[in-house]
Amino acid sequence: MYDLSNIATLAIYSILTGGLYAAMSYGLALVYGVMKIINLAHAATMMLAAFTVLTFNRWIGLDPILGSIVVLPIFFFAGMGLYRVAVRRVAAVPVASLLLLFGVWLVAQNLAYIIWGSEDQSILTSYTFATIDVVGIKIAVIRIIPFGLSIVMLAILRWFLANTDLGRAIRAVSQDRVAARLAGINADRTATLAFGIGTMLSAFAGGLLTLIFSFTPNFGGVFQLKSFAIIVLGGLESFAGVALGALVLSTIEQFSILIPGWRASLVNLLAFGLLVLTLVVLPGGIASLFARRRKVAE
Amino acid sequence: MSLVRNPYVAGLAVAVLAALYPVVRPDDLTVLGLGFLTFVFITQALSWGLVGGYAGQISFGFAAFFGTGAYTTAILWSKNGWDPVATLPVAGVAAMIVAILVGLPVFRLSAQYFSIATIGVGEAARVIAINLDNITGGASGLNLPFNVPDKSWFYWAGLTLATITFLVSAWIRRHRFGLALFALRMDQSAAESVGVPTAIFKNLAHCVAAFFVGTAAGLYAMYLSYTHPDQVFGFDISIGMVLMNVIGGIGTLWGPVLGAIVYFPVRQIVLSDPNLVAVNVLIFGALLIFIILFEPGGLLGLLSRFGVVARGGLRLRPQDAGAIVELEPAASADDEA
Repeated sequence: MYDLSNIATLAIYSILTGGLYAAMSYGLALVYGVMKIINLAHAATMMLAAFTVLTFNRWIGLDPILGSIVVLPIFFFAGMGLYRVAVRRVAAVPVASLLLLFGVWLVAQNLAYIIWGSEDQSILTSYTFATIDVVGIKIAVIRIIPFGLSIVMLAILRWFLANTDLGRAIRAVSQDRVAARLAGINADRTATLAFGIGTMLSAFAGGLLTLIFSFTPNFGGVFQLKSFAIIVLGGLESFAGVALGALVLSTIEQFSILIPGWRASLVNLLAFGLLVLTLVVLPGGIASLFARRRKVAE
Repeated sequence: MSLVRNPYVAGLAVAVLAALYPVVRPDDLTVLGLGFLTFVFITQALSWGLVGGYAGQISFGFAAFFGTGAYTTAILWSKNGWDPVATLPVAGVAAMIVAILVGLPVFRLSAQYFSIATIGVGEAARVIAINLDNITGGASGLNLPFNVPDKSWFYWAGLTLATITFLVSAWIRRHRFGLALFALRMDQSAAESVGVPTAIFKNLAHCVAAFFVGTAAGLYAMYLSYTHPDQVFGFDISIGMVLMNVIGGIGTLWGPVLGAIVYFPVRQIVLSDPNLVAVNVLIFGALLIFIILFEPGGLLGLLSRFGVVARGGLRLRPQDAGAIVELEPAASADDEA
């Protein structure tokens, strides 16, 4: 029943979905790195971005791919605004910021219900059902484009963090906030910027997810849990770890259909199962494996 | 005056006063029903406070315990022919087993990561309950027998459970166990370095909380004669417990009680008003934001401003939390300097 080309298709889809998952999770990892707080508004951002893309699509027929890029500045500034107005006041107390951002999520979710209703929404484009033939394997265009854009986005971000003063400031604050401040970095401004970038990345992922999945105001929660499983698996702040974690999760999800008696409604449990398994077997994430090996090598 | 300050005496006095109501007005079924539900919510809030307040581990997954308790009672009662009252302790123990299964891996996480993982716990429990349709009735729910005791009985049963939970919570606060929870909330590494077995204590608090939530859920299922996964495993059950604590004063003894007494009627009004029901999450979310930004101590914090009660509980204001977050210098206004 499952021949080699089926397996190859699943493998390709795993990689393609993994790229999008990496972009989705990195926003959460970045904010955690700089502020040591979990951005529970991540789910709200993805959901709001999806609906904003939908609205642009319905209103002026804007293509969802372009839409995902157009919304980036909006969410960048919205994220910075949220940080300046609210998060910053309680950022020193993780529990308080967690509850605050949880409240933001609830409010955003309810606002979306009021504005867009609770029906399942989806965006159909001329290429939604188009496929490309690669050595006999059909691959959906709507999987390839988000993957490509995610990779480009992550590459830009990596370049920004490595080569610009602001990017270096973000990395410095993630590594050691006190030392960064002693070196003259304005930690508060850096945190604002990081929160903006993190929000922007979540929005980017949320916009691209509209190509593949249908969505309701509830939809961010599932992907938030996936992002979380990925960054725990990836070792919280490691760039390569996040990418690898994303690949592992997407592979497990894609291949789960091979399990006999599997129900599609259980797919979203896999992220949680992976999370628990990681915590039991590998509490430091994938990155700790490499760290251990490196230590042995030394 | 010192008797009023004694939590056991004060708690029992309030309970005795509340217990008189069905004697005075045995026919006021509306108030008795609402009273019973309030006691269920107080039990939930107090239990959540043991983990979220005392130990500082904010959980968004307590619905898993509530649902487990409700379904344990529902199944033993309707399918195995048990006496419903006899199922209540079993419901508590079943919830406790879930708490151990969840707690062992998830408490390995630091406090914040624990919180997000618990969102998954609640969601996983709900999805599993819906998919185990031959046991739980799946998406169509489970109808239970209707031969239940009268409302006064439920009122007293709920009150008894809430009172026991309160007394246990008061006892934990004064006991070494409670001090250990406070210590690990403030600084887990420091607590470990002075010999507090933090992992065991967190799991223990989790189990105690789950037991009471599960028992309360069993009573709740009896009262409604119906269970549905979305109702007893619903995310709003978990959110409710967080909100009641935040409203009353997170980490305090009386805060969860006060929070439940305020939250429950507001929730009833909001859910029964066709104009407000669409915005109920908005109202509670905005309230959460508002409290955290302006009065993180909740109602008790507000009262302490007027000197009615002493300030206590979880310190959520950056200026109060100086000693707790010394690892992370405040990213607040003084950062500009």
